[in-house]
Parts: sequence; structure tokens; C-alpha cells
Amino acid sequence: MSELVLHDDELDEDCYRVRLFLSLLGLEARRVAVDVVPGGEQDSPGFRAVSPAGLLPVLRIDGQMVCGAGGALLALAHGRPEWLPEARAAFARVAHWLQFAGGPLRATLLMRRACLFGGVGDEQSARRRAAVGALRIMEDHLAHRRLEGGTWFVGDGPTVADIALFPAAALCRDWGEEYSAYPALRRWVRAVRGLPGFVTMPGIPDYG
Amino acid sequence: MSGTREGGWYPLMLSADLEPGTVAGSTVLGRDLAVRRDREGQAHVWDDRCPHRGMRLSLGFVREGALACLYHGWRFGADGRCVHIPAHPDLSPPGTIRAAPLRVAECHGLVWASVEEDGPLPEVDAVAWVPVRSLRIEAPWQDVARAVGVPDGHRAAVLDRDVEGRVLAALLPVREGACMLHLLAAASAGVERLHDLADWGQDVRARAEERAGQVFLAGVVA
Ligand code: FES
Repeated sequence: MSELVLHDDELDEDCYRVRLFLSLLGLEARRVAVDVVPGGEQDSPGFRAVSPAGLLPVLRIDGQMVCGAGGALLALAHGRPEWLPEARAAFARVAHWLQFAGGPLRATLLMRRACLFGGVGDEQSARRRAAVGALRIMEDHLAHRRLEGGTWFVGDGPTVADIALFPAAALCRDWGEEYSAYPALRRWVRAVRGLPGFVTMPGIPDYG
Repeated sequence: MSGTREGGWYPLMLSADLEPGTVAGSTVLGRDLAVRRDREGQAHVWDDRCPHRGMRLSLGFVREGALACLYHGWRFGADGRCVHIPAHPDLSPPGTIRAAPLRVAECHGLVWASVEEDGPLPEVDAVAWVPVRSLRIEAPWQDVARAVGVPDGHRAAVLDRDVEGRVLAALLPVREGACMLHLLAAASAGVERLHDLADWGQDVRARAEERAGQVFLAGVVA
């Protein structure tokens, strides 16, 4: 594998997904900082030349640019069956959750940004309800998984789906959701935190 | 609330959800609590306020058998007394620095705390209960209690809702208009039955929230 390069914003949870996965895989990437807040650098011509839609992060892998967390996670997981199962049924389950992470679960990220940077409080809104609804889908799935002795979203070990989903749960307090409402998520967050190579981001406490 | 048969005892969480060496948060009638289990398996419940600067202890972590506050690392032992202050490692902290402990009991697969005046713990058939799950419901606890068939004035009951085996339901009033519903099954239940009960809990949640005018529907958002 040639040199890995990650165009990265320290405070962005999409970038964190990829940093976390790199660390769990024991890989180093050269980091190129993108100043999103307050610089707005994701919209600069220079960055748009790298990422035409302004998506972060951008991973350069084997000479290819992959834009966005979902794509970058898949590119890193490729050829690692322990993180991305090959059997079609298990692959389909992982694909299902990756799609969820890039779709309905975005509501949690938007809520968090609105609370941290947009001065939004804890009032009810369509966006907050959609975000709570998305967390509940994860909570319900993990509650069922546990009844059959499962800890992870798919199968017997962590997959790239767990990594894609993790920040939304770990950062929910930033927009006013308490772990006490999500006991199954809380247990799973602990399990992810216990993986060798786990790293935090600002907003996810480091117990040192 | 003191009219309920269970006196001041409230079911905080499933015992299975409190792993040794961890701390979790819980809220009873708007009062925030830190719930932790030490490595020996004993559960402790304190007010969720660090005696140092009032930050939430439930966000901390367990270190060397004590609960460490996330903010400045003060550590508190089983009785709530402060045992270590990192900024003054050689100081043995005065006994007056103390987190406020509540009385705790564990039975029927649940962690209970005595929040108001003491009273008897709820009497439930002493069979082994296996945890199904807990659900947060944005609806008044009395409404959920009525819907699942817990008799008036109780926060926990064995339901005789169907013939397939007994179910223990326990309700924690979190605040006005929000509660946790804990579900457990008689130990004879198979995995299929546990899945059915978990689904039933989701159904109870959806109906209660619909009555309360609270709908949480995920979807693709702009
Ligand atoms: S607030 Fe807990 S140690 Fe300072």
C-alpha cells in the first residue's frame, strides 16, 4: 500500500470515523488539516479540486482519492474479511448499516452541529425527533442482538458498520440525549471503547 | 407518589445493564443519580453531583475500586468518601468531602434505590427473572403502567397478559411525561419468546407515545 493521506478536520465526526478505523487497523496516514470552522476551507477552490462536492474527509489510498466517510471506510475495509465479511448475507447486513449511517443517522450529526455551532437549545423540533428516532433504531437493534448473546451490530465481532455508527452514539450528549435512555447503546459504546487501538475525538472523554 | 405500595423504592435499571467496574446515570422524578457497580459486584447509588464542583459523577469512570470524576479526577470510595485528589496526591482528604449515598437493593433482576421515605420493596414471585430490555418512553409512567396491566398504585408487577409465561414489568418515572419501562421474563422463556417480548415493548412505546402526542420517526433529513 502506498502512502495513506487523510484530508481531515479534527472536530468533524465524519473525519473521526476514518481516524478511528485507521487507528484500529494500526495504520498511519499523513494528515492534511482542513479548516472548516471558522475557515470554511471545504468550499475553497483548492479543496474542491480534491473533493468536488466539498465532502470530508478525503482519503488517498493506493493513489486514489475517496471522498466522504462511507467510501473511505469501505476502501479501508476492502480485503479485510474480519471487518467486511465476504459471505453475501453478512455483507448485506453490514451494507444495510453503512447506508443507515450515511442516511437517517445524519440527523444526529445535524442536531449536534446545530447545538454546538448554531445556538440551538433542547427544544423539540422535527430534526430532533428524527435524530432520536435514528438512535432508537440502533438501540432496538442492539437490544435484540443481546438476547442472542451478540455485542456488535453484525456477527460475532466488530465490523466496519460499528465504526461508521459509533460517533453518533458516543456524541449524543452534545445535543442533549442522555445515555440513560439508551442502555443497549451504552453497553456497545463501552465495547467499542475497549477495542485495541481505540482513539477519542474532542467531545468523547478519554479516561486516560 | 408516596401512595404507591413500593414506598420510596424505584427500579433504576436492569441489573444486567450495570457491569462491574462501570458507572451509569439514571433520573428519578427529575433527580439525577449516578449508579455504579464495584468490582466485587456491589451496586452503589449516589446523587449525580461531584462534591468538588458539582459536575456529573455518572460521566466518570472506575479507577482502583473508586469512582473517579471526569473533571478533576477526585476519587470516591464505596461509602462516598473522597479518597484521592490528584492535585494533592499526598493529602488524605477530610471525611466531610463525601458524595451522598442512597439506599440500594438488588432483586428480581433490577437495581432499586430508595429515593423517598423507606418502605417495603415490591413483592414479586421469587422466581429467577431474565432481563429482556429497558425502553425509554416519552409518556407519563401511569399511562404506560395502565397500558401494560400494572395495577394502580404499583410501579412493578408480574403481568398475566398471556399464557406463554410470566412477564415482570417495572416502571421508572424519569420526569413528568417520561419513563423507563423494564421488562423481564420468567427464566423458562426461550430466545424466540424474549424477542417477542422486546418487540411488544416497542409496540407499547409506540402506542403510549402516540397517545402522548410524541412521535419519533427516523427518515432522511435535509
Ligand atoms: S467536579 Fe468532580 S473533581 Fe472537580
